[in-house]
Amino acid sequence: MDASMAGTILAAIFTLAIFSLLYRDNPFYRFAEHLLVGVSAGYYVVHYFSSAVLRKFAYPVFVSQDWWLLPGGLLGLLMLFRLSRHTQWVSRYAIAFYVAAWSGYLIPSVIQERVLVQIQGTIPQLIGATPGAVIGALILLVGVTTILVYFYFSAEHRGALNSLSRIGITFLMIGFGASFGYTVMGRVSLLIGRFQFLFQEVPEVLGL
Amino acid sequence: MADEGHSHRRSGRLIELLTNVDRRIIFLVIALAVALPLLFPLNLPVRPSREATAYFEALEALDPGDVIIFSFDYEPDTMAELDPMSLATLRHAFRKDLRVIALTNYPGGPGIALRNLEQAATEYGKQPGTDYVFLGYNPDYSATMLRMGESIQATFPTDHSQTPTAEIPLLQEANSYADIPLLVTVTASALAEYWIIWAGGKYGQKIITGNTAIQAVLIYPYYQTGQLAGFLGGLKGAAEYEKLLELPGTGILGMDAQSMAHLLIVLFILLGNVGFFLQRRAARNGGAN
Repeated sequence: MDASMAGTILAAIFTLAIFSLLYRDNPFYRFAEHLLVGVSAGYYVVHYFSSAVLRKFAYPVFVSQDWWLLPGGLLGLLMLFRLSRHTQWVSRYAIAFYVAAWSGYLIPSVIQERVLVQIQGTIPQLIGATPGAVIGALILLVGVTTILVYFYFSAEHRGALNSLSRIGITFLMIGFGASFGYTVMGRVSLLIGRFQFLFQEVPEVLGL
Repeated sequence: MADEGHSHRRSGRLIELLTNVDRRIIFLVIALAVALPLLFPLNLPVRPSREATAYFEALEALDPGDVIIFSFDYEPDTMAELDPMSLATLRHAFRKDLRVIALTNYPGGPGIALRNLEQAATEYGKQPGTDYVFLGYNPDYSATMLRMGESIQATFPTDHSQTPTAEIPLLQEANSYADIPLLVTVTASALAEYWIIWAGGKYGQKIITGNTAIQAVLIYPYYQTGQLAGFLGGLKGAAEYEKLLELPGTGILGMDAQSMAHLLIVLFILLGNVGFFLQRRAARNGGAN
Protein backbone atom coordinates (compact mmCIF):
# COMPACT_ATOMS: atom_id res chain seq x y z
CA MET A 1 0.00 0.00 0.00
CA ASP A 2 1.58 3.30 -1.07
CA ALA A 3 1.18 6.68 0.67
CA SER A 4 -1.45 7.90 -1.80
CA MET A 5 -3.65 4.85 -1.26
CA ALA A 6 -3.28 5.09 2.53
CA GLY A 7 -4.16 8.80 2.37
CA THR A 8 -7.28 8.12 0.29
CA ILE A 9 -8.46 5.35 2.63
CA LEU A 10 -7.88 7.57 5.67
CA ALA A 11 -9.75 10.44 3.99
CA ALA A 12 -12.68 8.12 3.25
CA ILE A 13 -12.78 6.87 6.86
CA PHE A 14 -12.70 10.43 8.22
CA THR A 15 -15.38 11.56 5.75
CA LEU A 16 -17.67 8.80 7.03
CA ALA A 17 -16.78 9.70 10.62
CA ILE A 18 -17.83 13.33 9.99
CA PHE A 19 -21.04 12.19 8.26
CA SER A 20 -21.90 10.08 11.32
CA LEU A 21 -22.87 13.31 13.15
CA LEU A 22 -25.94 13.46 10.93
CA TYR A 23 -27.32 10.53 12.90
CA ARG A 24 -26.13 11.63 16.32
CA ASP A 25 -23.05 12.91 18.15
CA ASN A 26 -20.51 10.11 18.67
CA PRO A 27 -16.81 9.49 19.50
CA PHE A 28 -15.82 8.87 15.85
CA TYR A 29 -17.15 12.28 14.83
CA ARG A 30 -15.47 13.93 17.82
CA PHE A 31 -12.14 12.32 17.01
CA ALA A 32 -12.29 13.37 13.34
CA GLU A 33 -13.31 16.92 14.26
CA HIS A 34 -10.54 17.36 16.83
CA LEU A 35 -7.96 15.88 14.50
CA LEU A 36 -9.01 18.28 11.72
CA VAL A 37 -8.81 21.31 14.01
CA GLY A 38 -5.45 20.23 15.45
CA VAL A 39 -3.84 19.41 12.10
CA SER A 40 -5.15 22.67 10.57
CA ALA A 41 -3.85 24.78 13.46
CA GLY A 42 -0.45 23.10 13.28
CA TYR A 43 -0.27 23.52 9.51
CA TYR A 44 -1.15 27.23 9.64
CA VAL A 45 1.27 28.06 12.46
CA VAL A 46 4.18 26.37 10.69
CA HIS A 47 3.20 27.77 7.29
CA TYR A 48 2.82 31.35 8.51
CA PHE A 49 6.07 31.18 10.47
CA SER A 50 7.94 29.79 7.49
CA SER A 51 6.43 32.04 4.79
CA ALA A 52 6.22 35.29 6.77
CA VAL A 53 8.78 35.28 9.58
CA LEU A 54 11.54 33.18 7.98
CA ARG A 55 11.17 33.89 4.24
CA LYS A 56 10.02 37.51 4.40
CA PHE A 57 11.96 38.72 7.44
CA ALA A 58 14.69 36.60 9.00
CA TYR A 59 16.28 35.35 5.78
CA PRO A 60 16.31 38.69 3.87
CA VAL A 61 17.51 40.66 6.92
CA PHE A 62 20.10 38.37 8.47
CA VAL A 63 21.32 36.53 5.36
CA SER A 64 20.77 38.96 2.46
CA GLN A 65 21.30 41.93 4.79
CA ASP A 66 18.28 43.90 3.53
CA TRP A 67 18.37 46.08 6.66
CA TRP A 68 15.46 48.27 5.53
CA LEU A 69 13.10 45.41 6.44
CA LEU A 70 14.24 45.59 10.07
CA PRO A 71 11.95 48.45 11.26
CA GLY A 72 8.87 46.65 9.88
CA GLY A 73 9.93 43.42 11.57
CA LEU A 74 10.51 45.18 14.90
CA LEU A 75 7.12 46.83 14.62
CA GLY A 76 5.63 43.36 14.11
CA LEU A 77 7.44 42.08 17.20
CA LEU A 78 5.60 44.72 19.26
CA MET A 79 2.47 42.60 18.78
CA LEU A 80 3.98 40.02 21.14
CA PHE A 81 3.55 42.53 23.99
CA ARG A 82 -0.15 41.67 23.89
CA LEU A 83 0.68 38.44 25.72
CA SER A 84 0.96 40.37 29.01
CA ARG A 85 -1.82 42.58 30.37
CA HIS A 86 0.72 45.07 31.75
CA THR A 87 2.56 45.57 28.47
CA GLN A 88 -0.21 45.11 25.92
CA TRP A 89 -0.44 48.90 25.36
CA VAL A 90 2.88 48.70 23.48
CA SER A 91 1.23 46.60 20.73
CA ARG A 92 -1.14 49.48 19.95
CA TYR A 93 1.72 51.30 18.18
CA ALA A 94 2.00 48.46 15.68
CA ILE A 95 -1.77 48.29 15.22
CA ALA A 96 -2.01 52.07 14.82
CA PHE A 97 0.69 52.06 12.14
CA TYR A 98 -0.89 49.16 10.26
CA VAL A 99 -4.43 50.58 10.39
CA ALA A 100 -3.28 54.04 9.32
CA ALA A 101 -1.14 52.78 6.45
CA TRP A 102 -3.83 50.49 5.07
CA SER A 103 -6.59 53.04 5.55
CA GLY A 104 -4.57 55.41 3.40
CA TYR A 105 -4.19 52.74 0.75
CA LEU A 106 -7.65 51.22 0.92
CA ILE A 107 -10.12 54.04 1.43
CA PRO A 108 -9.57 55.92 -1.87
CA SER A 109 -9.40 52.69 -3.87
CA VAL A 110 -12.44 51.13 -2.25
CA ILE A 111 -14.47 54.31 -2.72
CA GLN A 112 -13.45 54.41 -6.37
CA GLU A 113 -14.04 50.72 -7.25
CA ARG A 114 -16.84 49.73 -4.88
CA VAL A 115 -18.80 52.97 -4.65
CA LEU A 116 -18.22 55.38 -7.53
CA VAL A 117 -17.99 52.79 -10.31
CA GLN A 118 -21.02 50.98 -8.86
CA ILE A 119 -23.05 54.21 -8.76
CA GLN A 120 -22.04 54.85 -12.35
CA GLY A 121 -23.20 51.30 -13.17
CA THR A 122 -26.74 52.01 -11.98
CA ILE A 123 -27.15 54.88 -14.45
CA PRO A 124 -28.75 53.40 -17.60
CA GLN A 125 -26.73 53.57 -20.79
CA LEU A 126 -29.59 54.10 -23.24
CA ILE A 127 -27.66 54.97 -26.39
CA GLY A 128 -27.26 51.92 -28.64
CA ALA A 129 -28.68 49.56 -25.99
CA THR A 130 -31.09 46.74 -26.88
CA PRO A 131 -34.65 47.00 -25.50
CA GLY A 132 -33.89 44.14 -23.09
CA ALA A 133 -30.80 45.93 -21.76
CA VAL A 134 -32.79 49.17 -21.30
CA ILE A 135 -35.51 47.34 -19.33
CA GLY A 136 -32.85 45.59 -17.22
CA ALA A 137 -31.08 48.88 -16.52
CA LEU A 138 -34.35 50.56 -15.51
CA ILE A 139 -35.24 47.70 -13.14
CA LEU A 140 -31.77 48.05 -11.61
CA LEU A 141 -32.21 51.79 -11.19
CA VAL A 142 -35.64 51.39 -9.58
CA GLY A 143 -34.31 48.63 -7.31
CA VAL A 144 -31.30 50.59 -6.08
CA THR A 145 -33.31 53.79 -5.55
CA THR A 146 -36.19 52.16 -3.67
CA ILE A 147 -33.82 50.13 -1.47
CA LEU A 148 -32.02 53.37 -0.58
CA VAL A 149 -35.44 54.85 0.26
CA TYR A 150 -36.10 51.87 2.55
CA PHE A 151 -32.89 52.69 4.46
CA TYR A 152 -33.76 56.39 4.73
CA PHE A 153 -34.65 56.87 8.39
CA SER A 154 -34.81 60.66 8.66
CA ALA A 155 -38.53 60.81 7.87
CA GLU A 156 -41.47 58.62 8.84
CA HIS A 157 -42.35 56.12 6.10
CA ARG A 158 -45.82 57.33 5.12
CA GLY A 159 -47.56 57.97 1.82
CA ALA A 160 -45.23 57.91 -1.21
CA LEU A 161 -42.19 57.20 0.96
CA ASN A 162 -43.94 54.16 2.40
CA SER A 163 -44.93 52.89 -1.07
CA LEU A 164 -41.40 53.30 -2.39
CA SER A 165 -39.84 51.61 0.63
CA ARG A 166 -42.24 48.67 0.19
CA ILE A 167 -41.02 48.28 -3.39
CA GLY A 168 -37.50 48.41 -1.93
CA ILE A 169 -38.37 45.58 0.49
CA THR A 170 -39.56 43.48 -2.46
CA PHE A 171 -36.21 43.97 -4.22
CA LEU A 172 -34.38 43.15 -0.99
CA MET A 173 -36.39 39.94 -0.56
CA ILE A 174 -35.60 38.90 -4.14
CA GLY A 175 -31.91 39.58 -3.39
CA PHE A 176 -32.01 37.56 -0.16
CA GLY A 177 -33.85 34.76 -1.97
CA ALA A 178 -31.17 34.61 -4.67
CA SER A 179 -28.50 34.64 -1.99
CA PHE A 180 -30.22 31.79 -0.11
CA GLY A 181 -30.58 29.79 -3.34
CA TYR A 182 -26.88 30.19 -4.09
CA THR A 183 -26.02 29.21 -0.50
CA VAL A 184 -28.04 26.01 -0.84
CA MET A 185 -26.27 25.30 -4.14
CA GLY A 186 -22.89 25.83 -2.46
CA ARG A 187 -23.69 23.47 0.41
CA VAL A 188 -25.08 20.78 -1.89
CA SER A 189 -21.93 21.12 -4.04
CA LEU A 190 -19.78 20.28 -1.01
CA LEU A 191 -21.86 17.14 -0.43
CA ILE A 192 -21.54 16.23 -4.12
CA GLY A 193 -17.76 16.68 -3.84
CA ARG A 194 -17.57 14.26 -0.92
CA PHE A 195 -19.83 11.72 -2.66
CA GLN A 196 -17.77 11.96 -5.86
CA PHE A 197 -14.73 11.24 -3.72
CA LEU A 198 -16.39 8.24 -2.03
CA PHE A 199 -18.01 6.76 -5.14
CA GLN A 200 -15.40 7.57 -7.79
CA GLU A 201 -11.94 8.37 -6.37
CA VAL A 202 -11.89 5.76 -3.60
CA PRO A 203 -12.90 2.78 -5.81
CA GLU A 204 -10.41 3.99 -8.43
CA VAL A 205 -7.53 4.08 -5.94
CA LEU A 206 -8.52 0.70 -4.47
CA GLY A 207 -8.72 -0.77 -7.99
CA LEU A 208 -12.41 -1.73 -7.61
CA MET B 1 -69.88 14.23 15.51
CA ALA B 2 -67.86 11.02 15.12
CA ASP B 3 -66.99 11.94 11.50
CA GLU B 4 -65.88 15.43 12.58
CA GLY B 5 -63.64 13.98 15.30
CA HIS B 6 -62.10 11.52 12.86
CA SER B 7 -61.41 14.34 10.36
CA HIS B 8 -59.77 16.46 13.11
CA ARG B 9 -57.52 13.56 14.12
CA ARG B 10 -56.51 12.94 10.50
CA SER B 11 -55.79 16.63 9.97
CA GLY B 12 -53.77 16.70 13.22
CA ARG B 13 -51.67 13.73 12.06
CA LEU B 14 -51.04 15.41 8.69
CA ILE B 15 -49.91 18.64 10.39
CA GLU B 16 -47.68 16.62 12.74
CA LEU B 17 -46.17 14.81 9.76
CA LEU B 18 -45.51 18.00 7.79
CA THR B 19 -44.15 20.16 10.59
CA ASN B 20 -42.18 17.65 12.67
CA VAL B 21 -40.25 15.56 10.18
CA ASP B 22 -37.24 13.89 11.81
CA ARG B 23 -34.21 15.74 10.43
CA ARG B 24 -32.46 12.39 9.87
CA ILE B 25 -35.11 11.44 7.34
CA ILE B 26 -34.40 14.71 5.48
CA PHE B 27 -30.65 13.98 5.56
CA LEU B 28 -31.23 10.47 4.23
CA VAL B 29 -33.50 11.60 1.40
CA ILE B 30 -31.06 14.39 0.40
CA ALA B 31 -28.19 11.87 0.48
CA LEU B 32 -30.13 9.56 -1.85
CA ALA B 33 -31.05 12.47 -4.14
CA VAL B 34 -27.35 13.32 -4.46
CA ALA B 35 -25.93 9.79 -4.56
CA LEU B 36 -28.28 8.15 -7.07
CA PRO B 37 -27.69 10.62 -9.94
CA LEU B 38 -23.93 10.24 -9.39
CA LEU B 39 -24.22 6.47 -9.73
CA PHE B 40 -26.86 6.56 -12.49
CA PRO B 41 -26.41 9.84 -14.44
CA LEU B 42 -29.53 11.46 -15.91
CA ASN B 43 -27.60 13.68 -18.35
CA LEU B 44 -29.81 16.71 -17.77
CA PRO B 45 -29.05 19.56 -20.20
CA VAL B 46 -26.62 22.33 -19.17
CA ARG B 47 -27.14 25.74 -20.81
CA PRO B 48 -24.23 28.20 -20.57
CA SER B 49 -25.15 31.54 -18.99
CA ARG B 50 -24.04 34.93 -20.31
CA GLU B 51 -21.44 35.27 -17.54
CA ALA B 52 -19.89 31.85 -18.20
CA THR B 53 -19.82 32.56 -21.95
CA ALA B 54 -18.02 35.86 -21.28
CA TYR B 55 -15.49 33.99 -19.08
CA PHE B 56 -14.91 31.48 -21.86
CA GLU B 57 -14.61 34.17 -24.54
CA ALA B 58 -12.09 36.21 -22.51
CA LEU B 59 -9.70 33.24 -22.61
CA GLU B 60 -10.65 32.27 -26.14
CA ALA B 61 -9.75 35.76 -27.41
CA LEU B 62 -6.08 35.38 -26.38
CA ASP B 63 -3.37 34.36 -28.83
CA PRO B 64 -1.07 31.33 -28.43
CA GLY B 65 1.96 32.31 -26.38
CA ASP B 66 0.10 34.95 -24.36
CA VAL B 67 0.69 34.85 -20.62
CA ILE B 68 -2.07 34.72 -18.03
CA ILE B 69 -1.95 34.97 -14.23
CA PHE B 70 -3.89 32.24 -12.46
CA SER B 71 -4.52 32.75 -8.76
CA PHE B 72 -5.72 29.73 -6.75
CA ASP B 73 -7.42 31.70 -3.99
CA TYR B 74 -9.05 28.85 -2.10
CA GLU B 75 -8.31 26.02 0.29
CA PRO B 76 -9.43 22.39 0.58
CA ASP B 77 -12.82 23.26 2.14
CA THR B 78 -14.14 24.59 -1.19
CA MET B 79 -12.31 22.25 -3.57
CA ALA B 80 -15.55 20.52 -4.53
CA GLU B 81 -16.89 23.71 -6.09
CA LEU B 82 -13.73 25.35 -7.35
CA ASP B 83 -11.43 22.55 -8.51
CA PRO B 84 -13.64 21.82 -11.57
CA MET B 85 -13.29 25.51 -12.60
CA SER B 86 -9.52 25.56 -12.03
CA LEU B 87 -8.91 22.37 -13.94
CA ALA B 88 -11.16 23.40 -16.83
CA THR B 89 -9.49 26.84 -17.05
CA LEU B 90 -5.99 25.35 -17.04
CA ARG B 91 -7.00 22.82 -19.71
CA HIS B 92 -8.44 25.67 -21.77
CA ALA B 93 -5.24 27.71 -21.35
CA PHE B 94 -2.89 24.86 -22.21
CA ARG B 95 -5.07 23.74 -25.11
CA LYS B 96 -4.68 27.25 -26.55
CA ASP B 97 -0.91 27.22 -25.84
CA LEU B 98 -1.23 30.05 -23.33
CA ARG B 99 1.45 30.28 -20.66
CA VAL B 100 0.46 30.41 -17.00
CA ILE B 101 1.93 32.26 -14.02
CA ALA B 102 0.21 30.66 -11.03
CA LEU B 103 0.11 31.72 -7.41
CA THR B 104 -2.06 31.45 -4.34
CA ASN B 105 -3.08 33.96 -1.69
CA TYR B 106 -4.01 31.27 0.82
CA PRO B 107 -1.58 29.25 2.96
CA GLY B 108 -3.66 26.13 2.24
CA GLY B 109 -3.56 26.75 -1.51
CA PRO B 110 -0.16 25.41 -2.68
CA GLY B 111 -1.13 21.73 -2.57
CA ILE B 112 -4.30 22.35 -4.57
CA ALA B 113 -2.49 24.54 -7.09
CA LEU B 114 0.33 22.06 -7.69
CA ARG B 115 -2.07 19.14 -8.11
CA ASN B 116 -4.20 20.96 -10.70
CA LEU B 117 -1.25 22.50 -12.54
CA GLU B 118 0.62 19.21 -12.80
CA GLN B 119 -2.48 17.32 -13.92
CA ALA B 120 -3.35 19.81 -16.70
CA ALA B 121 0.31 20.27 -17.74
CA THR B 122 0.82 16.50 -18.03
CA GLU B 123 -2.32 16.15 -20.17
CA TYR B 124 -1.06 18.80 -22.63
CA GLY B 125 2.69 18.11 -22.41
CA LYS B 126 3.61 21.48 -20.86
CA GLN B 127 6.93 22.15 -19.12
CA PRO B 128 7.50 24.07 -15.87
CA GLY B 129 9.56 27.24 -16.26
CA THR B 130 8.73 27.82 -19.92
CA ASP B 131 5.00 27.00 -20.18
CA TYR B 132 4.00 27.57 -16.59
CA VAL B 133 5.39 28.57 -13.23
CA PHE B 134 4.00 28.26 -9.72
CA LEU B 135 5.11 31.15 -7.51
CA GLY B 136 3.59 29.73 -4.33
CA TYR B 137 2.08 31.64 -1.42
CA ASN B 138 3.03 35.15 -0.42
CA PRO B 139 1.76 36.64 2.87
CA ASP B 140 -0.51 39.71 2.68
CA TYR B 141 -2.67 39.48 -0.42
CA SER B 142 -3.20 43.25 -0.84
CA ALA B 143 0.52 43.99 -0.88
CA THR B 144 1.10 41.04 -3.22
CA MET B 145 -1.54 42.23 -5.69
CA LEU B 146 -0.23 45.78 -5.62
CA ARG B 147 3.43 44.93 -5.96
CA MET B 148 2.86 42.51 -8.84
CA GLY B 149 1.88 45.58 -10.87
CA GLU B 150 5.45 46.82 -10.47
CA SER B 151 7.45 43.60 -10.59
CA ILE B 152 6.48 39.96 -10.16
CA GLN B 153 10.15 39.04 -9.66
CA ALA B 154 10.44 41.52 -6.79
CA THR B 155 7.19 40.28 -5.22
CA PHE B 156 8.29 36.65 -5.48
CA PRO B 157 12.13 36.51 -5.37
CA THR B 158 11.82 32.71 -5.65
CA ASP B 159 9.08 30.41 -6.94
CA HIS B 160 7.43 27.69 -4.86
CA SER B 161 10.36 25.31 -5.38
CA GLN B 162 12.85 28.05 -4.34
CA THR B 163 14.16 28.67 -7.89
CA PRO B 164 15.10 32.38 -8.23
CA THR B 165 12.39 33.96 -10.39
CA ALA B 166 15.01 36.05 -12.23
CA GLU B 167 16.26 32.77 -13.76
CA ILE B 168 12.81 31.53 -14.91
CA PRO B 169 12.38 32.14 -18.68
CA LEU B 170 8.63 32.80 -18.46
CA LEU B 171 9.12 35.55 -15.87
CA GLN B 172 11.89 37.17 -17.88
CA GLU B 173 9.25 37.86 -20.55
CA ALA B 174 6.33 38.73 -18.28
CA ASN B 175 7.18 40.65 -15.13
CA SER B 176 4.13 42.83 -14.41
CA TYR B 177 0.45 43.29 -15.30
CA ALA B 178 1.55 45.34 -18.32
CA ASP B 179 2.91 42.13 -19.92
CA ILE B 180 -0.14 40.04 -19.09
CA PRO B 181 -3.45 40.39 -20.96
CA LEU B 182 -5.64 38.45 -18.53
CA LEU B 183 -5.80 37.58 -14.84
CA VAL B 184 -7.90 34.64 -13.59
CA THR B 185 -8.76 34.26 -9.92
CA VAL B 186 -10.66 31.25 -8.65
CA THR B 187 -11.73 32.16 -5.18
CA ALA B 188 -13.87 31.23 -2.20
CA SER B 189 -13.81 34.66 -0.61
CA ALA B 190 -13.86 38.39 -1.36
CA LEU B 191 -10.41 38.17 -2.98
CA ALA B 192 -11.94 38.69 -6.42
CA GLU B 193 -13.02 42.14 -5.18
CA TYR B 194 -9.48 42.88 -4.01
CA TRP B 195 -8.07 41.83 -7.38
CA ILE B 196 -10.59 44.24 -8.94
CA ILE B 197 -9.49 47.06 -6.61
CA TRP B 198 -5.73 46.55 -6.83
CA ALA B 199 -4.99 44.92 -10.19
CA GLY B 200 -8.06 46.16 -12.07
CA GLY B 201 -8.54 49.62 -10.60
CA LYS B 202 -4.92 50.65 -10.21
CA TYR B 203 -3.33 48.91 -13.20
CA GLY B 204 -6.25 48.36 -15.60
CA GLN B 205 -5.73 44.58 -15.57
CA LYS B 206 -8.50 42.60 -17.31
CA ILE B 207 -9.92 40.08 -14.83
CA ILE B 208 -12.19 37.04 -14.92
CA THR B 209 -13.12 35.04 -11.85
CA GLY B 210 -14.52 31.72 -10.69
CA ASN B 211 -16.40 31.85 -7.40
CA THR B 212 -18.18 29.69 -4.89
CA ALA B 213 -21.96 29.90 -5.21
CA ILE B 214 -22.23 31.91 -1.99
CA GLN B 215 -19.77 34.48 -3.30
CA ALA B 216 -21.32 34.67 -6.77
CA VAL B 217 -24.21 36.89 -5.63
CA LEU B 218 -21.72 39.56 -4.59
CA ILE B 219 -19.84 39.32 -7.88
CA TYR B 220 -22.73 40.14 -10.26
CA PRO B 221 -22.47 43.94 -9.76
CA TYR B 222 -18.80 43.90 -10.83
CA TYR B 223 -19.68 42.02 -14.00
CA GLN B 224 -22.54 44.40 -14.70
CA THR B 225 -20.22 47.43 -14.44
CA GLY B 226 -17.54 45.81 -16.63
CA GLN B 227 -14.99 45.59 -13.80
CA LEU B 228 -14.99 41.86 -14.47
CA ALA B 229 -14.89 40.48 -18.01
CA GLY B 230 -16.71 37.28 -17.01
CA PHE B 231 -17.31 34.95 -14.09
CA LEU B 232 -18.39 31.48 -13.04
CA GLY B 233 -20.69 30.96 -10.07
CA GLY B 234 -20.50 27.70 -8.13
CA LEU B 235 -20.65 24.18 -9.54
CA LYS B 236 -23.26 25.36 -12.05
CA GLY B 237 -20.77 27.87 -13.48
CA ALA B 238 -18.12 25.15 -13.71
CA ALA B 239 -20.54 22.87 -15.57
CA GLU B 240 -21.48 25.64 -18.01
CA TYR B 241 -17.81 26.35 -18.71
CA GLU B 242 -17.05 22.64 -19.23
CA LYS B 243 -19.97 22.54 -21.68
CA LEU B 244 -18.54 25.51 -23.63
CA LEU B 245 -15.12 23.86 -23.67
CA GLU B 246 -16.63 20.53 -24.70
CA LEU B 247 -14.52 18.94 -21.97
CA PRO B 248 -16.97 17.28 -19.55
CA GLY B 249 -15.56 17.04 -16.04
CA THR B 250 -16.73 16.81 -12.45
CA GLY B 251 -18.78 20.01 -12.90
CA ILE B 252 -21.15 18.49 -15.47
CA LEU B 253 -21.14 15.14 -13.65
CA GLY B 254 -22.30 16.87 -10.47
CA MET B 255 -25.14 18.86 -12.02
CA ASP B 256 -27.64 15.96 -12.10
CA ALA B 257 -27.17 15.50 -8.36
CA GLN B 258 -27.37 19.26 -7.84
CA SER B 259 -30.66 19.52 -9.74
CA MET B 260 -32.23 16.57 -7.89
CA ALA B 261 -31.18 17.98 -4.51
CA HIS B 262 -32.64 21.39 -5.42
CA LEU B 263 -35.94 19.85 -6.54
CA LEU B 264 -36.15 17.97 -3.27
CA ILE B 265 -35.36 21.07 -1.20
CA VAL B 266 -38.07 23.01 -3.05
CA LEU B 267 -40.47 20.15 -2.31
CA PHE B 268 -39.53 20.24 1.39
CA ILE B 269 -40.08 24.01 1.46
CA LEU B 270 -43.51 23.60 -0.14
CA LEU B 271 -44.49 20.83 2.28
CA GLY B 272 -43.25 22.88 5.23
CA ASN B 273 -45.39 25.81 4.08
CA VAL B 274 -48.45 23.62 3.60
CA GLY B 275 -47.92 22.32 7.15
CA PHE B 276 -47.53 25.85 8.48
CA PHE B 277 -50.77 27.08 6.87
CA LEU B 278 -52.71 23.97 7.95
CA GLN B 279 -51.44 24.47 11.49
CA ARG B 280 -52.49 28.13 11.44
CA ARG B 281 -55.93 27.25 10.11
CA ALA B 282 -56.35 24.54 12.73
CA ALA B 283 -55.35 27.00 15.46
CA ARG B 284 -57.89 29.53 14.17
CA ASN B 285 -60.65 26.92 14.01
CA GLY B 286 -59.75 25.73 17.49
CA GLY B 287 -59.93 29.30 18.78
CA ALA B 288 -63.29 29.82 17.07
CA ASN B 289 -64.68 26.62 18.64
